[in-house]
Amino acid sequence: MTRPAWPSAARRALLAAIVLLPLAGCTSDPAPDASPSTAEVAPPAAESVMGIARSVCGTSWTGHGGDRTFLVKNTDTVTTDVELVDPGNGAVYAEVESLAPGTTRSLRVRLGHGAYALRCLPEGVNMLTGPTVRITDGPQDGTPAVLPVDDQDLTGAVGRYRKGVTAGLAVLSDDVAVLRRALHHGDRADARTAWLTAHLGYERLGAAYGTFDEFADRIDGLPDSLPGGVHDKDFSGFYRIEYGLWHGESPSSLAPVGDRLASDVAKLRHDFPEQRTDPMDLPLRAHEILEDTLQSQLTAAADQGSGTGLATAEANLDGTQAVLDAIAPVMRSRYAGWDQVGVWMGRARRLLKDARRPGGGWTPVASLKTIDRRRLDGTIGALLEELAPIAAIGETRRTS
Amino acid sequence: MTDRRTFMRGALGVGVAGAVLAGAPSGRATATPAPVADPVVAFHGAHQAGITTPQQRNATLVAFDVLAADRRELTGLVRTLTERARFLTSGGTPPEVGIGAPPTDSGVLGPTVPADGLTVTVGVGASLFDGRYGLADRKPAGLTPMRDFPNDHLDEARCHGDLSLQLCADNRDTVSHALRDIAKHTRGGMQVRWRIDGFVSPPRPSGTPRNLMGFKDGTSNLDVSDSALMDQLVWLPEGGSYQVIRIIRILAEFWDRVSILEQENMIGRRRDTGAPLDGDHELDVPNFAADPVGTSIPLTSHIRRANPRVPQTDGSRILRRPYNYDLGVDSVGDLDMGLVFVCYQRDLAAQFEAVQTRLADEPLVDYIQPVGGGYFLVLPGVRDVDDYFGQTLVG
Repeated sequence: MTRPAWPSAARRALLAAIVLLPLAGCTSDPAPDASPSTAEVAPPAAESVMGIARSVCGTSWTGHGGDRTFLVKNTDTVTTDVELVDPGNGAVYAEVESLAPGTTRSLRVRLGHGAYALRCLPEGVNMLTGPTVRITDGPQDGTPAVLPVDDQDLTGAVGRYRKGVTAGLAVLSDDVAVLRRALHHGDRADARTAWLTAHLGYERLGAAYGTFDEFADRIDGLPDSLPGGVHDKDFSGFYRIEYGLWHGESPSSLAPVGDRLASDVAKLRHDFPEQRTDPMDLPLRAHEILEDTLQSQLTAAADQGSGTGLATAEANLDGTQAVLDAIAPVMRSRYAGWDQVGVWMGRARRLLKDARRPGGGWTPVASLKTIDRRRLDGTIGALLEELAPIAAIGETRRTS
Repeated sequence: MTDRRTFMRGALGVGVAGAVLAGAPSGRATATPAPVADPVVAFHGAHQAGITTPQQRNATLVAFDVLAADRRELTGLVRTLTERARFLTSGGTPPEVGIGAPPTDSGVLGPTVPADGLTVTVGVGASLFDGRYGLADRKPAGLTPMRDFPNDHLDEARCHGDLSLQLCADNRDTVSHALRDIAKHTRGGMQVRWRIDGFVSPPRPSGTPRNLMGFKDGTSNLDVSDSALMDQLVWLPEGGSYQVIRIIRILAEFWDRVSILEQENMIGRRRDTGAPLDGDHELDVPNFAADPVGTSIPLTSHIRRANPRVPQTDGSRILRRPYNYDLGVDSVGDLDMGLVFVCYQRDLAAQFEAVQTRLADEPLVDYIQPVGGGYFLVLPGVRDVDDYFGQTLVG
């Protein structure tokens, strides 16, 4: 058994001390291109302000290891990102994003033994790296550096993910066709079975927060935001069919909804090759799919009568796993908690499997024993804590 | 005497671990006023803080179900709980995690977390000693599940728990921040079972704070500065104590329709001054012996039943630490408010339960409804940086 996730190293709190940089002079290396701005003169105190411009990325600085706060001021006329990097490999310890002209912001970091340099990435201009500073005293380990991820790094991941979705859409299309036939045929039991298969096929695609654009609402929208609720004429898709099948509506009366669903899925399948997947969406989705599961399925808020929220949760785990598989080559080396993700994914999967009824049916969330429900909620919560850093690491950054 | 004291520390002072804590950068020319001194209650000690600590204004009582898979994970859980409590009660700047994770701290208390007089008091319930963690043979004989007393209206969802957390601080945001922090760092290890928030009113106009029945509550509480008394009635030899939490709803609308005479006879004190019905001032000691048939203070009054002030009941006295709660409305639109009754003692049966048994069927029961709570063993204090909550229990 792997060790439990709490406390993960990154979260372990330390009594931190802020030590301000000693006085630093102005740059001794004026820019050859005579940029209009100059580095700011530090105030006459124990605190220094690093001037940042297109031509100068901070003054040279010295000092000791430990907790430090750099004050960086953009003395130029263009917005810039500022990073504290390991000049050897470009790994980032800390950053200030989008530092507007004339503004000063602090950049906090714990300096361990190693090499540090400020890196400036002004808008529309090549990046610039300041002088290298070696820290040899203070704590051995400081704030960990992470190799930045750029769009290029995620290209392979996007390709793998889209391939999986394309295959999933083909399966979904077939399953929706079965559902549609069952509704037309009028057999409730068959329709219910076909509905669950098709719905889980959709949930397995890992759609969350804006994936598939407007198709997501048409195919899998909940009635909450509609003025008429479940009776609203615009309530359509999987949840509408679920509501009808478990609220005494005849399957054949739901056939038009099934036809519309089939048509929406077909359109999605047709459009998907043209829809762009933002590379940054993948790391984000690593936790967003299950955030939605916790909010909508484990609360039973999305349940329209079938009581299959736990089946949906399992499908969402599959969807999350597909994202993780796609981004694994990028993340494994960058995220120290990667193995913990696997541990909690495994636990969540086991709990959902245990909640399955012997005959293959699903226990409605509200019918779970209180302690079992609490254990599932806590486990998904812990998994989400482990997944959240993936989104932070995967926020794409410029590397040139 | 208690070995724990509250001391004042400026935001730039020295914390318990000797680390320098920085609020505003020093040396900066600024017009902002100097930071207000930040009260810190020492975390390390033979006993946990939050029991004899002067009552802070705000509290949250939370019971958790422990989810840890085995004893080793349970140990990890209490260690994490210790680390968080140590940090939160000392204050400081959360560590910088860099670009690889969301911030570790919610930021609710600003970039540097003030201690704000926070105390974190951890207890364990009888259910933790079932078969799950191999602790059955270590269960203290005196730790039982909370009883269902004759006038109780207990809601199982708001009763018991494997672990209790009492968070107290001077400000509400500090308590809220602490719970959020602890829940985040222990996610997957324990899950909230129930929770109740409380507050202490300021003296109105003086003396002991009032409860939501309008009466001063806690006038004759134990003297926490009397260490011999604390050892006799509150502390267990190992440094812990037994904690009782009772969520007691007050039927406020019904109570407000009762005449003042009847109210005062039920309590045994004057509502305005807090004086016993045979006295003039709040701190006057009621003389029950001089009133054997209850002509001035009825025999059935709350103060007389709770503490008859005879030698035989001296040992059943408890250290009370009550908080008012105000939760919203019930299904008929009546206010859901009451008292989070918290008390500490050495012996649940001989103290709280003895008092509660004497109170059975007191006239007041028509106006109050205990709806939840639990019994917990408050663990001994964390002695130093190497120690952790429950080390002798789970280690």
